[in-house]
Amino acid sequence: MDRINRRRFLKALSAGGLACAFGRTPQAAFAAASGTQAAFDDYKALVCVFLFGGNDSFNMVVPRSPVEYAEYAAARQNLAIAQASLLPLNPLVPDPDGARYGLHPSLPEIAQLFEQDEACAVVANVGPLIEPVTKAQFQARSVRLPPQLFSHNDQQDQWHALKGEATARSGWGGRVADVITGPQVPAPLVQPLAVNLSLSGQSLFQTGLTAPPYTMGATGPVELFGLEGNDPLSLARRAAFDAVLGASYGTVYERAYARVQQSARRSAGTIGAALAAVRSPNAAPFTTAFPASPLGTQLRTVAEMIAARDALQVNRQIFFVATGGFDTHDAQAADQPGLLGNVSRGLAAFYRATAEMGVASRVTTFTQSDFGRTLTSNGDGTDHAWGGNQLVIGGAVAGRRIYGSYPLLRIDGPDDVGGGRMIPGISCDQYAATLAAWFGVPDAELATVAPHIGNFTERDLGFLAA
Amino acid sequence: MNVLRVIAATALAAVLAACGGGGGGGSGPPVVQPPAPPAISRADAFRLLNQATFGATEADAQAVVSMGYEAWIDQQLQRPASLELPHVQAAFAAYPPGADFTRLHEDRIDIWLRNALYAPDQLRQRVAFALSEIMVISQLSPLVGYPWGSASYYDMLARNAFGNFRVLMEDVTLHPAMGVYLSMLGNQKADAARNIRPDENYARELMQLFTIGLVELDPDGSIRRDGQGNPIATYDQQVIEGFAHVYTGWNFAGAPSFDLARPTIQNQMMPMQAYAEQHDTGTKRVLGYPGATFTQIPAGQTPQQDLDDALDNIFRHPNVAPFISRQLIQRLVASNPSPQYVERVARVFENDGTRRRGELSAVVKAILLDTEARTAPAAATAGRLDEPLLRLTRIWRAYGARSQSGRLNVQNIPGFIGQGPLQAPSVFNFFSPFYAPPGEILDQGLVAPEAQLSTEYLTSLLTNYFFILSFCYNTAPVQGCPAVPPALAPDLVLIDTGPERAVAADSAALVQRIADRLAGGAISPALRAEARAMVDRVPASESSLRAAEALYLVSTSPELALQR
Repeated sequence: MDRINRRRFLKALSAGGLACAFGRTPQAAFAAASGTQAAFDDYKALVCVFLFGGNDSFNMVVPRSPVEYAEYAAARQNLAIAQASLLPLNPLVPDPDGARYGLHPSLPEIAQLFEQDEACAVVANVGPLIEPVTKAQFQARSVRLPPQLFSHNDQQDQWHALKGEATARSGWGGRVADVITGPQVPAPLVQPLAVNLSLSGQSLFQTGLTAPPYTMGATGPVELFGLEGNDPLSLARRAAFDAVLGASYGTVYERAYARVQQSARRSAGTIGAALAAVRSPNAAPFTTAFPASPLGTQLRTVAEMIAARDALQVNRQIFFVATGGFDTHDAQAADQPGLLGNVSRGLAAFYRATAEMGVASRVTTFTQSDFGRTLTSNGDGTDHAWGGNQLVIGGAVAGRRIYGSYPLLRIDGPDDVGGGRMIPGISCDQYAATLAAWFGVPDAELATVAPHIGNFTERDLGFLAA
Repeated sequence: MNVLRVIAATALAAVLAACGGGGGGGSGPPVVQPPAPPAISRADAFRLLNQATFGATEADAQAVVSMGYEAWIDQQLQRPASLELPHVQAAFAAYPPGADFTRLHEDRIDIWLRNALYAPDQLRQRVAFALSEIMVISQLSPLVGYPWGSASYYDMLARNAFGNFRVLMEDVTLHPAMGVYLSMLGNQKADAARNIRPDENYARELMQLFTIGLVELDPDGSIRRDGQGNPIATYDQQVIEGFAHVYTGWNFAGAPSFDLARPTIQNQMMPMQAYAEQHDTGTKRVLGYPGATFTQIPAGQTPQQDLDDALDNIFRHPNVAPFISRQLIQRLVASNPSPQYVERVARVFENDGTRRRGELSAVVKAILLDTEARTAPAAATAGRLDEPLLRLTRIWRAYGARSQSGRLNVQNIPGFIGQGPLQAPSVFNFFSPFYAPPGEILDQGLVAPEAQLSTEYLTSLLTNYFFILSFCYNTAPVQGCPAVPPALAPDLVLIDTGPERAVAADSAALVQRIADRLAGGAISPALRAEARAMVDRVPASESSLRAAEALYLVSTSPELALQR
């Protein structure tokens, strides 16, 4: 066993493997077997932070030990981050071979969450897979691969949907909602609001086959003018407006439009009132300041929605927030510090706010992105690749660890399928299944959420404590 | 009026706009008598005009009824392009020295709206808009610094809207706005010692989004499948790399060398220039397909020779005709055209009747004159949802919208309707041609691309805008509308509800008037009844309020969100 493979083996054992053994999976299995499936009477939230465009995450989490850094620098050339500037990560379970890693210097808040709070974990080299793939298998096309690797929308869809087919009909967040509100669980969740709430437009991720998502703006829903008053004319207008929406329509398009507008009518007032209460000076559920960026604004609203959970009578929520600009074909060295700094400040503020509210262990935030980027450059930027590193943050996270195997960053090395495109060591299915299990999806239903989970030995990556 | 207290002053400020110049829509005197086709009803004329313009008007409908479909289309095909760049340049001439020139994007949107509302070349503008949603560039990118380039790009689309697709491909490829957006500009040749290889961005998206798509198609647009039933990829990573090498060496025009090329006001309006020193001169792999005359570009050619070969190779791919035909049908007529409709149009793309391939004037005409576009739709899948920009221009055109100043300088247009010209979030446009909202559309394997913008949030924004338009932003606002700050008043876009007020005492006549202006008379009995009942609750003397209530209910109804 050469050094790299031995390291991979040991790391899998030390991080994923051990944590898995002591993690929640056995308990979940026990609960399912003994029929004591919880009735979703506590509160939990998942917050998906989608980094649109494909984050160059091998510049987000970077090797800093000499041998590994030398490989990195040789591969990345003019896009390499200076070794001395990396923010050191000192995991609770050190790499058995002594490889050490650091964060991009624009992520000091994340470094603190990792090192001091132990509320952040890195999941290394995650990407869409149908089954485990080696380089030889990739080259021989002897295993099934997701369609249209390296294409933006297709790989976004893979992250969202975890489907092998080109056409994905539902997303994994949507299927989580389907399962926990459906007959698959003994005591299905019942709550007045959708489980899936987007603050950043439609996403396949949140599309369920039975449970539709609800979309609001970055600061909350839009209340419809002239329909909420209780004067006679407003009441009449509201009745007429609702009657028009409720009429029968001849085309699928009108029906789809009416359904969305009806959904807006049902929930906008409730959510708006709950947010207004939370935002009143007397309430002030948290004092943490959020950055003024679009991502910071979305995350502040999510924190306020969580503060309003009792008024909204909700027990399970999956939030979708997003920020773009990560498709750094050009000017990557100039743009990446701002992109990552924005993520760092936003995610850290959000964690602090949940801690202030005493719900840090009930809220798990995780990143997703189209793909990692090529280790090689096109001069001043990078192109579409495959595996990449992700961050998971929350009080329930078994933090200060690096899960999975950080690949050898060598052009034409054992993990490179060409141009510095890393074969993922962990599948999106495993990543999603770990999050879904924590959220309360029974083990027997994990394959509904993550259809390829059966192709991987580790069903739970262990980064979430029970 | 209490009912309006919910309108915050901020909402008002966000919806500032103005209008001016120009007469009514693109009608003209009838010059050709059609050869005795069946009589065209007003609703029929509205259907054509909503497919072919930025919104049917009663005047244009009269022209279509008297001219016939084909003559009206032929007249439109002859109209020269109304352009954006002269307006943007004139606006800049009036800017004080040192002013923030990125604000020229507001002038660009001003002229986009003016052209959409008033330009006589409505069909050309509508096709240009469709092309701008296929060959996407966006201000929400480094192009914020290239307002001249962005306007110039749109003008290029308008000029090519009835031209040849191969010319369009080359003009798009060499436009510096596209060059900046998809990073072909500045793409340098490989340098193995530094692990540098050519940028694959444009190579990938030109094929995936602008011309052939990811999988092989039959002439009717259906996905072809292999023996195992799987779609067949049109290209692989090696082909992308081949094209990436083709697109090396191009940069802003007029520099002594590649490395010294810099953007200027002038060269963001000129095609990119090739600099041989950064062009890769090796052989390049290109697309293979039945009928391809070559699958490799030879070594040693000039950048322009390589580009000619590469674009010819893509243009001749059998996918282009169904891929582009289907998307143009979706943008103009229907989200779910029948395979037969797609094939009929694709055949015209392949051969316009004079053995020319890719003649867009013939393609557009075939789309609009097809029986599936022209017969009254009965199927539950006929038509398409209107996107927010088209819903806005539709009501503005129907109601003669204008401002005192003549400007339609709508700031933050996505902030109040969720969409703005050349403001897509990415090269994947505001919506995917394959998007299917959950529910019966998804379950039946149908699509509704524009529904990607029909979220609770965005539909509510637009519904609220129509509320303000109906009650306040018109020629006789109801009592209680918030005051418009004097500085903003000249630019406020107002619609003319005079004809409604004139008949407002009679609820049936009032609703009929609105139906005539917005839908050629064709609204459902249920909507008509609800609107009438609402109007009848308001005293007959309050003509403005009665008109507002009716217009609000009709304009925000699901049937008005549909383009039939």
